[in-house]
Amino acid sequence: MGLDVKGCRELQSEVLARDLCSLCGACVGMCPYLVTYRGRIVALDECDLREGRCYVFCPRTSLDLDLLSQTVLGVPYAADELGTVQEIALARASDEAVRSKAQFGGTVTALTSFALDQGLIDSAVLTTSDESILPSGILADNKTQIRDCAGSNFVAAPTLAAFNRESEGDIQRIGVVATPCQAQALAKMRASPLENRNNIDKLKLVIGLFCTWALRYEELARFLADKVPLGQIVRFDIPPPPANLFQVFTDSGRIDISLDEVRPFIRPTCDVCIDMTAEFADVSVGAAEGVEGWNTLIIRSDVGRELVEAARAKGVIETAPLPEQNLAHLKEASLLKKKRGLKKIIDTTGSDEDLLYLKLASEAVKGLLA
Amino acid sequence: MTSITAYEAGASQLLMGNEAIARGALEAGLGFASAYPGNPSSEILGSLAEVAREMDIYAEWSVNEKVALEAAAAASFAGVRAIVAMKQNGLNVASDFLMNLNLTGTVAGLVLVVCDDPSGLSSTNEQDSRPAAKWAELPLLEPANSQEAKDMTKWAFELSEEIKNVCLVRSVTRVSHARGDVRLGEPMAPSREARFAPTTLGQFTPLLVPIKHSFLHQKVNKAREIFESSPFNWYTGPEKPELLIVTCGSGWNYSLEAVKALGLESSVGILKLGTTWPLPEKLVQQHLARTDKVLVVEEVNPFLEGNLKELVGDTFATLGPLTFYGKRSGHLPTFGELDPDRVMGALGSILGRERVAVEPDYAKKAQALTGSLVQARMIGFCAGCPHRATLWSVKNALKLDGRGGFVTGDIGCYTMGLGPTGFFQLKTVQAMGSGAGLACGFGKLDKLGFDQPVLTVCGDSTFFHAAIPALINGVYNQSNFTLIILDNSATAMTGFQPHPGTGASALGEPAPTVDPEGLCRSLGIRVEVADPFDLQDTTQKLLDLMQDDSGVRVLISRRKCALVRAKEEKPAYKVRVDTEKCRGESCGCARLCTRIFQCPGLVWDDETHTAKIDEVICTGCGVCADICPASAIIREVA
Repeated sequence: MGLDVKGCRELQSEVLARDLCSLCGACVGMCPYLVTYRGRIVALDECDLREGRCYVFCPRTSLDLDLLSQTVLGVPYAADELGTVQEIALARASDEAVRSKAQFGGTVTALTSFALDQGLIDSAVLTTSDESILPSGILADNKTQIRDCAGSNFVAAPTLAAFNRESEGDIQRIGVVATPCQAQALAKMRASPLENRNNIDKLKLVIGLFCTWALRYEELARFLADKVPLGQIVRFDIPPPPANLFQVFTDSGRIDISLDEVRPFIRPTCDVCIDMTAEFADVSVGAAEGVEGWNTLIIRSDVGRELVEAARAKGVIETAPLPEQNLAHLKEASLLKKKRGLKKIIDTTGSDEDLLYLKLASEAVKGLLA
Repeated sequence: MTSITAYEAGASQLLMGNEAIARGALEAGLGFASAYPGNPSSEILGSLAEVAREMDIYAEWSVNEKVALEAAAAASFAGVRAIVAMKQNGLNVASDFLMNLNLTGTVAGLVLVVCDDPSGLSSTNEQDSRPAAKWAELPLLEPANSQEAKDMTKWAFELSEEIKNVCLVRSVTRVSHARGDVRLGEPMAPSREARFAPTTLGQFTPLLVPIKHSFLHQKVNKAREIFESSPFNWYTGPEKPELLIVTCGSGWNYSLEAVKALGLESSVGILKLGTTWPLPEKLVQQHLARTDKVLVVEEVNPFLEGNLKELVGDTFATLGPLTFYGKRSGHLPTFGELDPDRVMGALGSILGRERVAVEPDYAKKAQALTGSLVQARMIGFCAGCPHRATLWSVKNALKLDGRGGFVTGDIGCYTMGLGPTGFFQLKTVQAMGSGAGLACGFGKLDKLGFDQPVLTVCGDSTFFHAAIPALINGVYNQSNFTLIILDNSATAMTGFQPHPGTGASALGEPAPTVDPEGLCRSLGIRVEVADPFDLQDTTQKLLDLMQDDSGVRVLISRRKCALVRAKEEKPAYKVRVDTEKCRGESCGCARLCTRIFQCPGLVWDDETHTAKIDEVICTGCGVCADICPASAIIREVA
């Protein structure tokens, strides 16, 4: 196994042309050829190199899960529901003010700020949106900036372009709040066999976000613009089932849209994704269904464990045992995503030997599909 | 360049064919000259404008060839000898007027010089203009060298006045741009009694068409009579040649050289015709009777060949069977320029002789002789050319927009935008103003499933020449496109002639400036103005205009031509490459500047594997500093 090494042409033919791009942004910001524009990766000119970081870093080319797990977590890939888990718990920011701005318990905001306070990182790459709801990566180096980025973002964002770009500068210790595909890309950057590296050694912390899918910007923006000026949109939310709603909070109130109307804008790559819980992050954070004001927190790496323990000790976050029912439910949902993703992949390729972009032992595949 | 009036009559002066044409006109008492620039014709009006003040005559760069011919015809109508010059494409523009002017006829001598460009060396086609003479039923002269160019032009005025109609003079690149010794005659003062005074009812109108048409035939017959004894037709060679070459213009030079190189002087004769339409039939028949084999050598189409065969068909009973060789027989190519080698090939194959071939490694030897002094460089934009910068932004804007938008092209330096230094952005190129015309059509295809953004480009001079009607059509018919006016304040492709936007006349005197921006705004068009060297702003403006997606929009991309700038200003920046920072071939750059951007001021250093600046060529525009991904190209204010 290992990571295949090819160039920008193959990135375009294998990923972009097949609509497999997750818009993580890993291929952007390192060269003049690939840029993002309104939620798309655009190749401005032809790069003729046979080996490119763009191809190697892409989470939709040769995703060798064992190699990435060994590189990031130091253990083989746990081909189970949730990946490598050191500890799983309910968590929330202790600070009421942080929680009030957050989607759930404010754990991501609290941990990011704490990592900055502790000097584990000197800057964090986060995701923000502009007045036309176009999301992008941003470098934050203080609490206010971090807090401004709080809240869920349902639109795919090329956040890692900001990592590539900003890591060129003087900053030395960077944390990234990443979706699962972005965490995969960061893991691939670490595992890259290329001599020409980006500044991945500056990456000190990855806080992963649970994710089931992300939306295409252009289609969503066009759809929403018919209902409300984009500049008036404050945030989105998807309340727990069975609401089946996509809620748009605007300056002049809330607009409820059936989730079925928004689903067509889901990026096709989300259908072949098998990672709901950001398995290659140091810690992963998501909703805790049915437990208002709390997050589910998964500690995966030693870096993650040390951060959480210190944050707990300093009273920055509070944790509580995750109820059995929640754990079971989370596992079920995550496994379902894996099964659906694998099935979609096998349907596409027509063979369980060819997993499109995934590199995963066939026993593991069988185990997950069983 | 020495002025065409620098020497006295009787002296010999080395003159370019086009200068000789201009001199011939002066010797004929020219009073009025007009033209639209276009290679290979531009130097005719250029050299007349230079001496216009001294000779006290009028010369203008007209807005297009049709207006140029109309203006010259007015002078003729008023009794003033006039010349109008254009390239082959220009004749098409002028032909609507020409096809009516031929019926009404002229008063004072009116000579229309059309310079053809076999092989399209600086043209979009290699149209042979001579059939226009037959079409319009106007006499045609074809000079073969500078001396003839002068003498024929002078004589053309007399001929024009004899038959009271336009006389065509057809040159080609190798006559117009070659230099040769010319024995000068005396310049003549023009008539200064200009007055429009029709002598008959409807003289300058089509009243009555069939009668006027019959007069036209009479004029052609009169020209034919005159041609029978023209000194521009002559024969050299044996009394009874084995093969008779009938040739004209540049073909005569190639024929002479080929016959000499093969040592065929005693067996091959050459009939050199200077008056190629209408054919002097008696003269031609007399020479055809010398032989039974005829080779016709001419550029580009088999025009003379066809007319000869027509004549032979009419006189078959007297002439008897003749075998014709030339383009129809496949002995000479029907496209591209001729040269002595090709004529030798034809002679060799007809007469069974070895041809004297060019050494096979001639090109290599020539390259070795020039060594590193001459760098092999592809055709493309100059260093610091604003068109490169504009098309860079166009490319990026179209890629970012992502809806399959494209550019319809037009005629000018920027036509090279169809190639690598314009990033292959121009997808169509036809005639002057056609980019906007095509855009009008593309922009109305929405009902038929078309959803691509349409961009079109034209230069400032082309805008005035032919794009304005298309633009108005687009507004009126509510088409949907963006016109980019590449305003470099010059007619750069043809040698920096002034035009209505430059504020200068053909004589270099101040002239009113026509403002494209104001003109477009007066049509109710949304107009943006950008500096192409500001890549980001230009790209953003293009995106905004493209995404506006309703009606006609205009972006004026305004920057002086780099060559004009170099004459007027010092370079803005001193540019250098920080070789430590240059990423060269590695991932993260892959030679963007020398591989894609391709300004000739940037060169790849094979030893250091970095880019470097060719300080001799760099014009200091500094644009490359903005495209370098590593900020390795440093520009310092000069």
